[in-house]
Amino acid sequence: MSKVEGVSKVESVSKVKGLQTFPGNRIIWHALIVGVVWLLLLLLNNNIDPLYSSYLALIAMYATAMFGMTILVGLSGQVSLGNGALMAVGGYVFALTSMNWETVPIFGWQWNAIWSMVFAGLGGVLVGGVVGGLAARLKGPYLAGLTLGLAVGVPAITNRFPELLGGENGLMLTVPYPDGGYAAAGAAASLDPGAEGELESTTDPGGDQNGELGTDDQFAELDLSEFDQETDPDAGLATEDLLTEEDFGSGDQLADGDLLTEEDFGSGDQLADGDLLTEEDFGSGDQLGLDGTDIGTDIGTDAGTDIGADLNVDSDSLLDGFDSGFIIERWQASMAIAVACIVAFAALNLVRGRQGRVWKAVRDDPIAAAVVGISPSGSKVSAFVVSSLFAALAGAVFAQILSFIGPGAFGLGLSLSLLVGIVLGGRASLLGAILGAILLVWLPELVDGLAGERGWPEQITNNAPNLLYGLLVVAVVLAAPGGVTGTIRSWVDKARGKARSPLS
Amino acid sequence: MTNFIDYLLGGFSNGAVIALMALALVLVWRSTRMVNFAQVGQAMFTTYIALTVQQSTGNWVLALVVALLAGSILGVVVFFLVIRPVKNSDTTGAIIATFGVLIALQAGAGMIWGGDPEGFVPPVDNAGLEIGGRIWPVSLYDLLVLAVTAVLVIGLTLLFTKTSLGLSMRASAFNPEVARLSGVRVNRMLITGWAIAGATGAIGGVLIAPFSTISPNSFDILLVFAFTAAVIGGLDSLIGAVTFGIGTGLVISLVSGYSDSGNAPIVALVLLALNLLLKPDGVFGHHGSRSV
Repeated sequence: MSKVEGVSKVESVSKVKGLQTFPGNRIIWHALIVGVVWLLLLLLNNNIDPLYSSYLALIAMYATAMFGMTILVGLSGQVSLGNGALMAVGGYVFALTSMNWETVPIFGWQWNAIWSMVFAGLGGVLVGGVVGGLAARLKGPYLAGLTLGLAVGVPAITNRFPELLGGENGLMLTVPYPDGGYAAAGAAASLDPGAEGELESTTDPGGDQNGELGTDDQFAELDLSEFDQETDPDAGLATEDLLTEEDFGSGDQLADGDLLTEEDFGSGDQLADGDLLTEEDFGSGDQLGLDGTDIGTDIGTDAGTDIGADLNVDSDSLLDGFDSGFIIERWQASMAIAVACIVAFAALNLVRGRQGRVWKAVRDDPIAAAVVGISPSGSKVSAFVVSSLFAALAGAVFAQILSFIGPGAFGLGLSLSLLVGIVLGGRASLLGAILGAILLVWLPELVDGLAGERGWPEQITNNAPNLLYGLLVVAVVLAAPGGVTGTIRSWVDKARGKARSPLS
Repeated sequence: MTNFIDYLLGGFSNGAVIALMALALVLVWRSTRMVNFAQVGQAMFTTYIALTVQQSTGNWVLALVVALLAGSILGVVVFFLVIRPVKNSDTTGAIIATFGVLIALQAGAGMIWGGDPEGFVPPVDNAGLEIGGRIWPVSLYDLLVLAVTAVLVIGLTLLFTKTSLGLSMRASAFNPEVARLSGVRVNRMLITGWAIAGATGAIGGVLIAPFSTISPNSFDILLVFAFTAAVIGGLDSLIGAVTFGIGTGLVISLVSGYSDSGNAPIVALVLLALNLLLKPDGVFGHHGSRSV
């Protein structure tokens, strides 16, 4: 991936003159870069183990949020800890719109995740506009303190509206996965030896899923066999039986007609991997409990109309999908990559265009910027709104990856992670955001692996990544303020005899 | 009405601790013109040290003294290792660095003492006192907290107004260049400021721990309250920090009493936002003290 970025960078450097005169050219170049990266990532996603696909999904999700941090912290110079909270906004809007799509007035007849994503983005823009309006009046530590309050206040706000937002327990999502599954359209089917084989292979490489997934596999198989038995005789009757069964584990797979089985159980591991700071907040017990009630209502509303037919079809495609290897991790990764690439394209055009220069100008000298006709507060608000939009989209992706949204996942820890990632990768660079995202996902895995080898106690293992992050952040701020990308760039510039600020 | 009085009285000791944390933030602001977001992290760490001392010796006073010393040492260490090297570079970097310290301290505490919440046994009874046939929402421990806070605040006030050290500190906070020319060892004053701030925060941490439990993240919310109080007070005003620290404690107690303690952060957020919009210099702040 980084190789590709490197190539694209060389290309863009060689085109600098053309880029400056023809903005249209620049957009085409950016589209080309992003398109190639997107394609390569999809290829990668299809050919790696599903476990790594789930990491890929998390990396793409973090990168989406951190493109916004690049603009807000790096270019506009506003330290915000509110982006985790804005991710929560996106996640909750996604959850609420996708769960209550029948009551959302427009486009209800063809609801899918994309509409929920759009609404999530709008929610982010709205909240970001309000907070950004406040923020534009504030400097450095005041903004950080205010947004810190926002981050700490998220659980309080969700608890304030327990019926709507689910309080501490959060909301389970019924993610509207595409019909027919992901693998049916792709080449994955031929690559995969079989569903069971895939599931087992997900448990192997990590080595840290202490037996939990093993039992989950059994669950999945059990579920499957039940499907087999019950769908065969009579689809219409079977649906009733299936749906009323409470001991069925994760019922929402029925509502979706898709293979959420592995995902539901496997998500525990993804949570542990992805949400670095708040692993303890996700008991699978809660999720199951919520499932039960959710399913009940779903059935109630859907019962008369098309659910029989749906299930009839879906239970077939369910089995087909399983045979042809619908792999939830791959679907999640491809979805997260799609969002990340679209956001990256927008961010590239903003950062390397006029708006990027405006943000930097205000960051470096607001008075001088005002003298040449730039509104400093307008520039700050626009940076905040853009980063809020990106954060909300990332939050919606995160909610889909987790199939769950709750205050625990979106607290201060997440906001701090984003800050850590952007600082380590490179504050003012989009490539730095990607590197930071990789670091956020990879470092805990590395520590876990080391801990497994050396037999460290859990207390050490759980906290080692954060200790490293904290120390690295301090070290980077002191020794290399530009992060990884800024430092490399300054080396390159030095070699070419140019001097440049590491943050430019 | 009795409810109101009860809630109000119950908020004082909490407010006193918020005032101490706000004081620590203000002391750092006065010496280095920055907000130390790691302040509660330092306090959490030293509170754990105090907890260890108390568990092994059973002596609360010793624990408090150890926390005080550890807090001032930690403050100086953070200043030397992190703040002084970064101070002359960008302000964004300085803010980020304090968050780095916070993350590292929380993870370090989790490594050493584990993530499970631990109780801190108060040295005196923490049950409501019974006076005149009525149980008041004030315990002996609340009174102790108020007394320690009062002693500390009076001591700090005397230090800043009556001693030459305090004069030098005020001078180097007010105008470092002129102070340096007048023979004040500005750098030494900065270190002293950080040490006193660390010690103040450490005492605040030890005092608040018995009210609930202590865990690596349990003071996060205290940071929000203290920041709110310090900013409303004007960030460079000791009196402002104490007044609005106690005020914040009272408001939180009222909000928790009448609705739910979970709403307290929202109220703090609203207070902070309103203040920053309406009176950005704070109530006790000097005009222009905010320009960094």
